Amino acid sequence: MEAASTNRNIRKEIHKKLQDNIMRDALSRFAAQYPDARLHAYDNVESIEALRDDLRDMKRYTVDHIATIADTFESSVRERGAEFYRAADGKAVKEYLMKICEENNVHRIVKSKSMATEEIHLNQYLKEKGLHVRETDLGEWMLSVAGQRPSHMVMPAIHLNRQQCAKFFSQELKEDIPSDIPFMIQTARRVLRKEFLSADMGITGANFGIAENGAIGLVTNEGNARLVTTTPRIHVIIIGYEKLIPKIEDAAKILRLLPRNGTCQRMTSYMTMVDGPTPVMYKKDGKWIEEPRKVYVILLDNGRLKAANDPKLKEVYQCVRCASCLNVCPIWTLVGGHVYGHIYSGGIGAILTGLLNGLDDFSKFSDLCIGCRKCVTICPGKIHIPDLIDELRARNIKQNGLPLPEKAVFQNILTNRKIFHALLRIGSIGQKPVQSGKFIRHLPLFFSGMTKDRSLPAIAAEPFRDRTKKLFQKNPDKPVCKVAFFSGCNLDFVFPETGESVVKVLQDLNIEVSYPQEQSCCGKPVLGIGDRETAKKIAQQNIEAFEKSSADIILAACPTCAETLRKTYCELFADDTIWGPRAEAFSRKVHEFTSFVADAYKRAGRLAPTAGTHKITYHDSCHIKRGLGIYKEPRALLEAADGTQFVEMENSDKCCGMAGAFGVKYSEISLPILKEKIDHIKNTGAKTVAVACPACMMQLRGGLDQQAPDIKVKHIADILAEHLH
Amino acid sequence: MEKVCKDWVAEAFDSSLVNACHWKEFAQNAKTASAEILHVQNFTEATATVSEIIHSLKAKTVIAVGGDENPALQNLYKSISSPSINVCTDKFDIAENAPTADLGISTAEFGIGETGSVCVDTYSYEARLVGMLPPVHIVFLNASHIVENITTAFQVISRVFHKGHMGFITGPSRTADIERVLSLGVHGPSRFIIIAIENNPEGRLH
Ligand code: SF4
Repeated sequence: MEAASTNRNIRKEIHKKLQDNIMRDALSRFAAQYPDARLHAYDNVESIEALRDDLRDMKRYTVDHIATIADTFESSVRERGAEFYRAADGKAVKEYLMKICEENNVHRIVKSKSMATEEIHLNQYLKEKGLHVRETDLGEWMLSVAGQRPSHMVMPAIHLNRQQCAKFFSQELKEDIPSDIPFMIQTARRVLRKEFLSADMGITGANFGIAENGAIGLVTNEGNARLVTTTPRIHVIIIGYEKLIPKIEDAAKILRLLPRNGTCQRMTSYMTMVDGPTPVMYKKDGKWIEEPRKVYVILLDNGRLKAANDPKLKEVYQCVRCASCLNVCPIWTLVGGHVYGHIYSGGIGAILTGLLNGLDDFSKFSDLCIGCRKCVTICPGKIHIPDLIDELRARNIKQNGLPLPEKAVFQNILTNRKIFHALLRIGSIGQKPVQSGKFIRHLPLFFSGMTKDRSLPAIAAEPFRDRTKKLFQKNPDKPVCKVAFFSGCNLDFVFPETGESVVKVLQDLNIEVSYPQEQSCCGKPVLGIGDRETAKKIAQQNIEAFEKSSADIILAACPTCAETLRKTYCELFADDTIWGPRAEAFSRKVHEFTSFVADAYKRAGRLAPTAGTHKITYHDSCHIKRGLGIYKEPRALLEAADGTQFVEMENSDKCCGMAGAFGVKYSEISLPILKEKIDHIKNTGAKTVAVACPACMMQLRGGLDQQAPDIKVKHIADILAEHLH
Repeated sequence: MEKVCKDWVAEAFDSSLVNACHWKEFAQNAKTASAEILHVQNFTEATATVSEIIHSLKAKTVIAVGGDENPALQNLYKSISSPSINVCTDKFDIAENAPTADLGISTAEFGIGETGSVCVDTYSYEARLVGMLPPVHIVFLNASHIVENITTAFQVISRVFHKGHMGFITGPSRTADIERVLSLGVHGPSRFIIIAIENNPEGRLH
């Protein structure tokens, strides 16, 4: 398999992209318009969720029966008189294609967009073989003229403006083309029309291939695919296994979602289905003749069958290549598709690259997923993109090992709580001279040592764990229940006051609070980088620590910790007969702070909205909103707090941009995301922005410090504690 | 002319799926997709409408299919042709004239309410040319042949789609590849006109 590049300096590339104002303008305008436009296209369906479920279920069924469905597809294609060929990889496609060209005396080829052919670098190969090949999708054609790669699966040239396009037109046509859009379009029509009419062969991909009758379907807006399947006397279809569907009626399940998510249309201008040879006319010796077109179907593997048999990665078969996951990705919408370095960009691109090109290529840009899970909420096939990326990261670490500095930190320090905590305490002393307004998001703080451009966050002089004795003296005598508090590193070492607020709010509810001292980091930072073995050791320590407590509830006021304890621990030990059940029992007790308190307040009649004047807004952390599905409860608590007036900010659930080690490693990307967040906060006129996540608190404070120092960032626990009488 | 199905009405339709009650949604969505919709009562009225279009386009060459299957349409094609307007209905004639034709005319099997698409049976080469090469494309649609949504459309299609070439057309050819500015008529027609025949007692266009 071809690797697209070696020795890339991805940070340099990112830096360059961030300087490209034309691209950044285009992407940010698009990102702002996309969500509403998409929803509008769905206005006339009853339930988007039901449609997504249908698509996912159909695709799941297909991948589970891929061998038989592919066989059925093959016999359907053959029965109708088309040639059929299974290609193991790009090389096989190319050889077969050359054979077809030679046998049929092919010189000129028109193509309509096909990711599969881009994946195997087909155009380049055909050109080397002396064939005349033209892409016919306007964007693809312009890029091929410019020698550029597409930056988006659906809008390949979104990074260019009209002046740049006009330049490419002028170069290719050797005439001066003005940057007038309609004029350029008409010029392209004129030039490409000649290509259509003189081509011997048309090559297309497929958006779906139907096993039942052997038809393939193509959706386009320009109509180029319809022309490619009309005028040439030979039609070659290159289709990946993942595009197969069992029945004709299953096509509807794709078509109700793909145009709406992809281009915010209820349907694209053209949806064309081709099934076997149909008549074609062309001039032979000056006379029109009609004969059946020759149709060749190439079913491409190139790593797809292996993925189909992989219990986790087979989920990629649910992808219909709508690219909507890019459209909502905070990283993609900043840096565009090129930095991903391969044909498929964005989160799904990282995964597909991992499958098709191998883990080495994957690891070069797998960092660019920050796990905000926004894509998961809109993907038509309901793919859990960040989870698949985590899976591949873990496999990559297993295969290639951790980079050295991380290895030392993770395996020797993080697994030993005493050393880890001792180092944090030293950090609190050592940092004094360098304490600054800059913060980093996730502890462990060793990451910051690995980066030069950021200082350590302020580590509290007295961690939360040292304050508990005094706090717990105020525990109620006759408690209604017992809560064991899981602080996580941030509330322990950076924001111990917030930890105190948590305790006060709980005690006010007549709850007895305890703090198992042997608890450690939840393990998320190591999980994020794919080191599951270390994470397991940490998880075992935490499970053991809490098993010793007699509490009914384990409570975390950091949603990332809550999600890790509640969901990930069970997954880590899924195949472990001893630790599996222990993790299950542990995780069943885990609750997130705001949802737990909102519930208790509701029962106590303390959740009625109040009418105050102090404006307060709320930022949804990715992990609480999309990881845990909690977003109503924090708002209800804020609305009920005395004297407050709750106001929503725009895009309240968009990532604040720090996401663990990412924000440190790629501060250039993180900071513009933060800036947008801060603008949205400022626009509300709120004096306080509430969060339910200490990590977001750290990030937002870091930004507001400099850009709007009069706005306070507070954890909801702190706000609630202030209102206790 | 070869087709995916010779008689969609008899073989594919059923009144629970294909029903005039979806017209309103169809028309709204088709217009949103920049399709033009014209209503006529019958083929006599349609002839006048097409003549007007030809006149306004100053069209000289028209390529048209569907006449062999439907005598009323055949008549229409005959009556719009004149010494100054060449109406090609022979398949080789169509192939010869398609690149320079000003207008293409064909028929649609049914419309789809949810999306404003029309389903076209383009098994034959000439049917494809007519819809793709000229700058303007007219389709005739029986106004009562509308299905509710894409799902029902595929229920209909799955009854007859054994082999061939067919699909949906939803408005004219478009692109937004330059600065996401919508432009019509990049490779296919820039105008897509649906002539809805209201009153077609035998229920068939062809
Ligand atoms: S992963 Fe989902 S959202 Fe992304 S391209 Fe595939 S189908 Fe679309």
